[in-house]
Amino acid sequence: MDLEHNKRSMIQEKQFSYEPGEHEAEAASGSYLMSLIAIVAGIPLPIVNLIATLIFYLGNRKSTYFVRWHCTQALLSQLSMLFINSFGFWWTVSIIFTEEAVTSKYIAYIIAAIIFNVTEFIATIYTAIQTRKGIHIEWWFYGSLTNIICRPNL
Amino acid sequence: MKKPIIQGVVTILLFLATWFALTQIDWVKIFKVEQITDKTEQKLGELFWDVFKNSEKEIKTTHVVNTIDSMVTKICKANKIDKSKLKIHVLNKDEINAFALPNGHLIIYSGLILNSDNQEELAGVICHEIAHIELKHVMKKLGKEIGLSVLISMTTGNSGAEVIKETARMLSSTAFDRSLEKDADIKAVDYLLNANVNPEPFANFLYKLSENENEVTQYLTWVSTHPDSKERAEYIIEYSKDKTADYQQILANKTWLNLKEELKEITNDINVD
Repeated sequence: MDLEHNKRSMIQEKQFSYEPGEHEAEAASGSYLMSLIAIVAGIPLPIVNLIATLIFYLGNRKSTYFVRWHCTQALLSQLSMLFINSFGFWWTVSIIFTEEAVTSKYIAYIIAAIIFNVTEFIATIYTAIQTRKGIHIEWWFYGSLTNIICRPNL
Repeated sequence: MKKPIIQGVVTILLFLATWFALTQIDWVKIFKVEQITDKTEQKLGELFWDVFKNSEKEIKTTHVVNTIDSMVTKICKANKIDKSKLKIHVLNKDEINAFALPNGHLIIYSGLILNSDNQEELAGVICHEIAHIELKHVMKKLGKEIGLSVLISMTTGNSGAEVIKETARMLSSTAFDRSLEKDADIKAVDYLLNANVNPEPFANFLYKLSENENEVTQYLTWVSTHPDSKERAEYIIEYSKDKTADYQQILANKTWLNLKEELKEITNDINVD
């Protein structure tokens, strides 16, 4: 029920300005898969996820609008996760190597970070599947931001 | 343009709200995270102080206590340190030593005062130990060398008296990490300068004692446990070089000489006893 509601409000299926072709759908879906593949390396070192999506973004800079649009959305979502995860990462490092102690505030942060990461993870899988089918998905916040950054004509 | 900004702010607020909501739960208790509380430190301070109180004699003569107290008060005032946190004890022992225990206990041996050529030397050592307390080095060292579990078991009475004694001895007779010692030295120079006390005698004190290092050093505990006295003296001089100020003495010369005189009598009396 919650997820259904979530899908409707936070992630919206929208009509793209044109019907994307098969190879476009594949490339767009790949941009999300890129961030998923890198997650194993990205958990301890959050920057890896960002670099992976950034490389994919740069590689597809001159691609079609649909592909560029989804590469941008994937990149933006990784960028914000980078802030959340880096903060948690360095907090953990300071606890291990300095006299910083484990507090309820720290544990709460880590749990909040996990919740946001998992949400993003599920959204990414869902979007990767949908874009593969050629369905255009706009995320809450990132979608509208991408609409500003990404223009139809190069 | 407005829409993404609002959505962005909402997203950030959502994250912060989630974090805030989660902090309402006492996770430390749920996960049983061991941590040093103020109470643990307080208890440890008492336990270790008891060890020294029972084995050495504390000098409580009004004049001695007041003189040391006025010195510490001046240093604390000049550096905005809460003096009520510090508990100064002068013990009758001819070792040249001073050290900090948990919860602000600072122990000075009479041997240190008697072997200081001038009050600035003593002030330097006191500042160095106050720096260890202020920079929370004591609990850091204990946590590292003894481990949190053992420390906590000491405070709950699950640890033998021998372990407590050994730990107390460790605190009095071993130095901190080299980097912590340096931090404390530099901080001590800052304290001295803020109190308008010349830091040079403190460096000289280290020089002087380092020259004796090769001789039988059983009485020079403070220096023998603090390695590389020469190097320390050098960086203290280097650090305070450009920071000359209008130096003053904390105690009147007469008070300082009286203090030494009185201590000499007390220690002689006790030793004869």
